Amino acid sequence: MLQTNTRWTVLRRFAISVFLVLVGTCAAARTRPHYGGSLRVETEGDPLRSPDGMARRLVLDGLTAFDPNGAVSPALAIEWQSDDNDHRWQFRLRPNVHFHDGSPLISTAVVMSLNLSCSANCPWTAVHAVGSSVVFTSDSPMPNLPALLARDTFLIALTRTADGQTPANLIGTGPFQFAALNNGVLTLAANDNCWQGRPFVDEIAIGASRPIRDQWLDLSVGRADVVEVPAEQLRQAQQQRLTVVVSPPVELVALQVSDSGALAHPLLRAAIAQGVDRGALFNVIFQKQGEISASLLPQSLTGYSFLFPADRDVNKANELRGGLTPQPLTLATDGNPTMQLAAQRIALNLHEAGFNVQVVSARNAPRADLMLRTLPIEGADPADALAILLRSAGENAPVAGKDPTALFRAEHDFLDLKTLIPLLDLPRACAISGRVRDLRLRADGTPDLAGASLEGTQ
Amino acid sequence: MGLAAGVAAAPGPWEQPAAALAEQIAGILGPGQAHLTIRNLSSIPADEIPVIRRLLAQDLKAHGVILAGPESANTVRVTLSESARERLWVAEIAEGNQTQVAIVDSGPVQAQQATAAGGLTLLSQQLLAAHEPVLAVLETPAGMVALEPEQIVLYTHAAEGWREQKRMAIEPRRQLARDPRGVLAMAADGQGFDAWLAGVRCSGASASAASAGDWTPSCRESDDPWPIARGSIAPAPPAQGSAASAPAAAPAPASAPAPAAADVSVPLFNAFYSAARNYFTGVVTPSLGVDLPPFYSGALIPRAGGAAALLIGGIDGKVQLAENSALHPVAGTRDWGSDFAVLRSGCGAGTQIVASGSGEAANDSLRAYELLSLEAVAASAPLAMDGTVTALWTSPDGKSVLAVVRNAANQYEVDRVTALCN
Repeated sequence: MLQTNTRWTVLRRFAISVFLVLVGTCAAARTRPHYGGSLRVETEGDPLRSPDGMARRLVLDGLTAFDPNGAVSPALAIEWQSDDNDHRWQFRLRPNVHFHDGSPLISTAVVMSLNLSCSANCPWTAVHAVGSSVVFTSDSPMPNLPALLARDTFLIALTRTADGQTPANLIGTGPFQFAALNNGVLTLAANDNCWQGRPFVDEIAIGASRPIRDQWLDLSVGRADVVEVPAEQLRQAQQQRLTVVVSPPVELVALQVSDSGALAHPLLRAAIAQGVDRGALFNVIFQKQGEISASLLPQSLTGYSFLFPADRDVNKANELRGGLTPQPLTLATDGNPTMQLAAQRIALNLHEAGFNVQVVSARNAPRADLMLRTLPIEGADPADALAILLRSAGENAPVAGKDPTALFRAEHDFLDLKTLIPLLDLPRACAISGRVRDLRLRADGTPDLAGASLEGTQ
Repeated sequence: MGLAAGVAAAPGPWEQPAAALAEQIAGILGPGQAHLTIRNLSSIPADEIPVIRRLLAQDLKAHGVILAGPESANTVRVTLSESARERLWVAEIAEGNQTQVAIVDSGPVQAQQATAAGGLTLLSQQLLAAHEPVLAVLETPAGMVALEPEQIVLYTHAAEGWREQKRMAIEPRRQLARDPRGVLAMAADGQGFDAWLAGVRCSGASASAASAGDWTPSCRESDDPWPIARGSIAPAPPAQGSAASAPAAAPAPASAPAPAAADVSVPLFNAFYSAARNYFTGVVTPSLGVDLPPFYSGALIPRAGGAAALLIGGIDGKVQLAENSALHPVAGTRDWGSDFAVLRSGCGAGTQIVASGSGEAANDSLRAYELLSLEAVAASAPLAMDGTVTALWTSPDGKSVLAVVRNAANQYEVDRVTALCN
């Protein structure tokens, strides 16, 4: 299994994906999508990494899915209903769907997959098969369950083959099936019997662990068709005249603050929130991409994010800290160089506010006082999006209701704890070669490779 | 009492949200004085702000809150905001050191309306909306048939529009395509319908034909060629200043048998479809005396002297005219997508070709063209569609074209597109 971190993290978003064609638009007449050809994709990460490797979404399907606008839509389940005030949900499976090995999609297989993917801290208390349906029950209401099931975490994989063996490779019901993994290149073949219809390209070859610089080089010399563009390098991609597809903001960069240990006092956490300079992160580290944010959900999703002030106030931070002088704090982040830079900038900010912060690797400090991380903004429904985001942050809190006042209060009350400090909303982007056609982004900002086709094939 | 007092004025768009927000503000403040400020972060035009302010002041007053100057201890800051989908009015109510928030929804964000202009104007009217892909629809006196990849759906007329009456699975099942296509046509007996999908042919028969719900479709595996032109190509007499109206007889194509005049059930050309892909192979019956390349769309175009020729949109993006046993490239089709259909509008030359757009934009467009010799000349402004056009065909009477549009949310709608002569 490939080991490098991936940028294709679990992210979803409600809005229509936006094509930002910077240069090189094809001028020839546009036709219906062509079938055939091999799509060459490169990624920094491991395409098979669970739960968010980019290949998993091509091989597996969920019970539900987000449509391009972020609305929850049927996938392997064709309909669902809740009872008992959202304590019980029943999802009816789509008939005549088969796994890549030919075995039928049945409810017991779905239950086995869900139990394997979620053994603890699940949104449900129990899941079981009832005929051609899957039934979830919980001690607490699950108003957001259909949206939660659309996440990569709960994609359905075959866990036992017909002869009772654990499959050697990932087997699902998706538009592509595992074909080979050689020399760091994962090859997926089109699933002719896909319930959504056969994808247009015959195969997708995903080059793993490719540094961004190498990806762009491969794109420029025609060795790659789809490569990654980190948000902070969008401007550089523009300067290099790449054809870039950009999503709306689909991930929240946030500082998670421990409410135990050195930062157990709420005033210290409030001082941390006042001491961070979002403007510097936005302007310097992320090269003015995305949006500064002090709310969990973006303005485009709720319309009220301006109610959360994002300005830095060092004096207020010092005032809040008062005479308290906390012991040295640890700030952890993953191995991503940009996040490392952002963490160092935050440590500098907090030093000016009277805190002594040391940046460490998340791998070495899983219980750090502060954790800089990205969280998904998924789905068009603000309540669902908030529930998913909070769950990603470790809070298993259902969010019900469509009333904007109630939603604002839920967000406000959570942020008032100062255990999560929103910083920036970032888009996702990829660059494509001139032969790629009809590539759209999914609601999470990742490219919908199954819907893409190639020029010059038939 | 004056006359005006007896006639209730129609409520404007801001009255309801203003009243709701004022009620919430007053509920927090109670009777008294407050300073009101308004800022606009939404797409509401600036000249609407005084109207909104006046409404808020009036409604607050009705709840006992009197507006005062900045010296007031209470401040109400109203922000007119919006998300990608809806407008919100947000009030931050400050009483001393305490601030409370009230939020009301003031309706969906208004979409921009596109306008069209040109020699004729294309108009679009939605017939049907569906969650599943629609491949084709056929309107009959008894009802409407919609062809989906796995089902045939029958609709009947209702006061509110078409109402689904019956849904039948297409058996035998076959491999699905990601870009599925299909064709529907009236049966030769005029009592039912015929449907063609990749590898399958269905017929819908009815004893009475009085109601679509009486139809009983039967399907079988089939590689039969699909009808691509059925006699809706006759040039209508040119008309000015009116919408399309005149039916006319169909002329004979140059290399094909002459069809029965105005008989929409007689196929003029059939084309073999590649079941594993999304295009016609290029083999047509009857033969045109020239080898055709694989193509996505074909339509019979009336030509001078009552003749006709077959226009095809190749899978290479080239539009060519099969005429007099030869293939001729057609100029002016650079902006065409791969779907087009003939529209007998009665405007201008009488017949136009309506083609989908070739742009990379998220939303497609339709535009009418006239074929002058071997050059397509735009006859209308583009008509913006709310998504990607996935199918386009001529209605049985030829006076409109029907388009299936898939929007960004993967919902489908069937639109009837007609022409208005300018």
